[in-house]
Amino acid sequence: MSVESQTGTGQLQLAENLDLTAVTPLHKSLLSSRGSALVIDASAVERIGGQSVQLLLSASKSWADDGVPFEIVNASNNFLSALALLGVGPDSLHVKEQTQ
Amino acid sequence: MDMNEIKAIFFQECEEQLAELETGLLAINDGDDDPETVNAVFRAVHSIKGGAGAFALDDLVSFAHVFETTLDCVRSKQLEPTRDVVKVLLKSADVLADLTNAARDGGSVEKSRCEALVADLEALANGQVPVSDDAVADEPAPEAESKAEPADDDESDFKPVPVQFDDLQESDAEFEPVPFSFDEFGTDQAPAGNRFKIAFKPKPDLYLKGNETLLLLRELDQLGTLEVDCDWSELPALDALDPEGAYLTWNATLTTAEDEDAVRSVFEFAEWDCELEITADEDAAPTAGEAEPVEDGAPETDEGASPPEPAETAAADDAEDAAAAPVETLELPNVIELQQAANANKQDAAENTAAPKTQARASATGAGSTIRVELGRIDRLINLVGELVINQAMLAQSVTESATAGSSAVTMGLEDLQQLTREIQDSVMAIRAQPVKPIFQRMSRTVREAAEMVGKNVRLVTEGEGTEVDKTVIDKLSEPLTHMIRNAVDHGLETPEDRQAAGKPAEGIVKLSAKHRSGRIVLEIADDGAGIDRERVRQKAVDRGLISAEATLSDEEIDNLIFQPGFSTAEQLSDISGRGVGMDVVKRSIQALGGRVSITSTPGKGSVFTMSLPLTLAVLDGMVVSVADQTLVVPLTSIIETLKPENEHIHGFGASGQLISIRDSFKPLVDVGQILNFSNAPTDPLAGVALLVDSEDGGQSALLVDAIQGQRQVVIKSLEANYANVPGIAAATILGDGQVALIVDVEAVVSASRNGALKSEMSLAAVG
Repeated sequence: MSVESQTGTGQLQLAENLDLTAVTPLHKSLLSSRGSALVIDASAVERIGGQSVQLLLSASKSWADDGVPFEIVNASNNFLSALALLGVGPDSLHVKEQTQ
Repeated sequence: MDMNEIKAIFFQECEEQLAELETGLLAINDGDDDPETVNAVFRAVHSIKGGAGAFALDDLVSFAHVFETTLDCVRSKQLEPTRDVVKVLLKSADVLADLTNAARDGGSVEKSRCEALVADLEALANGQVPVSDDAVADEPAPEAESKAEPADDDESDFKPVPVQFDDLQESDAEFEPVPFSFDEFGTDQAPAGNRFKIAFKPKPDLYLKGNETLLLLRELDQLGTLEVDCDWSELPALDALDPEGAYLTWNATLTTAEDEDAVRSVFEFAEWDCELEITADEDAAPTAGEAEPVEDGAPETDEGASPPEPAETAAADDAEDAAAAPVETLELPNVIELQQAANANKQDAAENTAAPKTQARASATGAGSTIRVELGRIDRLINLVGELVINQAMLAQSVTESATAGSSAVTMGLEDLQQLTREIQDSVMAIRAQPVKPIFQRMSRTVREAAEMVGKNVRLVTEGEGTEVDKTVIDKLSEPLTHMIRNAVDHGLETPEDRQAAGKPAEGIVKLSAKHRSGRIVLEIADDGAGIDRERVRQKAVDRGLISAEATLSDEEIDNLIFQPGFSTAEQLSDISGRGVGMDVVKRSIQALGGRVSITSTPGKGSVFTMSLPLTLAVLDGMVVSVADQTLVVPLTSIIETLKPENEHIHGFGASGQLISIRDSFKPLVDVGQILNFSNAPTDPLAGVALLVDSEDGGQSALLVDAIQGQRQVVIKSLEANYANVPGIAAATILGDGQVALIVDVEAVVSASRNGALKSEMSLAAVG
């Protein structure tokens, strides 16, 4: 799935630290992006907790329910290893393979 | 519970672990290649190490660590447990036992001995399989140090075989487990060890309290190989989601060398804020009782998706195993109460973690629940039951004598009481009954050490370890058995060269067996050595003035000469059996237990020592007899038959002796009343009753008493403890009429009839 060429694509830059304090703001950001295609940049992520992953999963699921593209790009190593440890396959979150 | 109590429990547990260790090693030595056996051995050492670590018993920890490392190599099949390898392992088990004892009782273990073994063990871990003992002992591995850590620097050819076993729960939360990691083996290879299924569902509180799923999983990952599956079926859509809620469930499979405690300890601080279920995969079939769900507080999802049911899933997965190894589904409190005692050092951990662990263990061993009770308490109970028996007999007697004797209600009630008392007594005695296994296990060490000292190659074969006997008997068996085993190794078996010259295998066999026979336990110590050199024994006996040079002795009599005081045939006094303690002492201590010992020997084939002992020292079945107006009890076990002498069967012998002919063989007639000085006048044989009894030398005698009153079970009361040692009397008892009756020491009386007087030392002989 690619949204690069589509118009009206929302962009979201994930913060460096996605711990407990970050989930509510992230939830709001995601809610506000609902309805349009979304590309989330995870390059800055250093730390991410279970609740943030949970939130991203919910978002991914909601976007899929809406039939709207959803993608996570530039995932940092820490982001990917956190997903691996949490048993969340990159596909579930539509994590786009690292190109750089 | 204070620290000392915990420590005491730790040492008790150590004893069990050491026994387990030895059993396992001996099984491996005998070719047992069941991975569970190796695992059990490994666990035993690991648990001791873990506990010792908690108490800072550094010597013990460091030795156990090296030992464990080597065992890990065996477990991972890097090291083939050949005889030579097991020999080193067995020696290490001995040292570990010594170190444990030293830690408990003070004292120390020879440093050089530890060091030599550490070198041997490290050499083994390093892949240097011994060609012979000396090669290993003399050349400690140059690279020994490199293997000091359990298998974490070895990536080369390590092919771990994943072995699932369910009850790797030996060490517990109280004794800090010492974790080691298999991480560096490479991710594609699962470490050998346990597999746990972990179902983990955080509650929102978990995150609020600063815990983090990711960190918990990371910690798990560090224990071994972790496979995680995230179940997000309950996850609501974004708008229905509470960002600080918790909707995910993680199902993980962890393959680890650690035990369940280590796995649980990861969740130590998160336990109350999550639903957690840890089940041993494979054999330990999980049951509902194992689950520890924390019910409240789990957020309901708006979509009403059915919540995951990890317990059932896991149970279904293991359904086959569950059928094969059903697990008791005991109520949690029961499990803790009963099993806790058996695995005593788990007590504090029990509240939170012991239930699944103990169940798993129970299922693995197939053993029922056990409870550990102080011996003193049981002794008290036994004494009380003894009193009850006496009391009941007295009550019966007074009812008989009273006017109510005709009342059938009273009589029936009394009979019921009698029946009940007997049952209670049997049950109480059964509590004390223990298998002889622990003592047999100790003997294997005795054999190893004795064999080493005299340079012989000896294997101990045991049989009937499950035979049960009273605890007091077991406690007193150790010394005579040790001596006889040493004797068998030292004197019984030939040197390997002599054996080979005689066409026998170089390895000698000492066989130790136990069985029940007519209300007694019979222990046999058989060797396949040269048998008794009767010429030499006879000569020695003549030299020492034990027999006259002209005496004509049967083979049996010659064999039994070795039980004479001060008799030793070893040409050279050896370290192990030439300590001035002869077989006479063995015989005396067996007699003191109410036992008998005899020997049979076949030249060239070996000798068999047979010991027969009463099953208990607390009660005995006796024949109540009258002798010169006294009531005496003769142990039933020594009586072969009773008969009424007839005139033509009585024959005079010597000055005052008498013989009785029974079916054409003559037996000495022993006048009990005279021997015990109850009367000066000889008893008229025709007016009395003769009891034909066995005596130690295999002969028989007839005890002459006035009359037989009856036969009953009596409670033994020690005369030594309550009064003083009385020659010819083994103990006393209290009869139903409240009278004290003396229990005859048959052997002493028979022997006195030969020698003319009771010797005080003979009264050690007893009541069997």
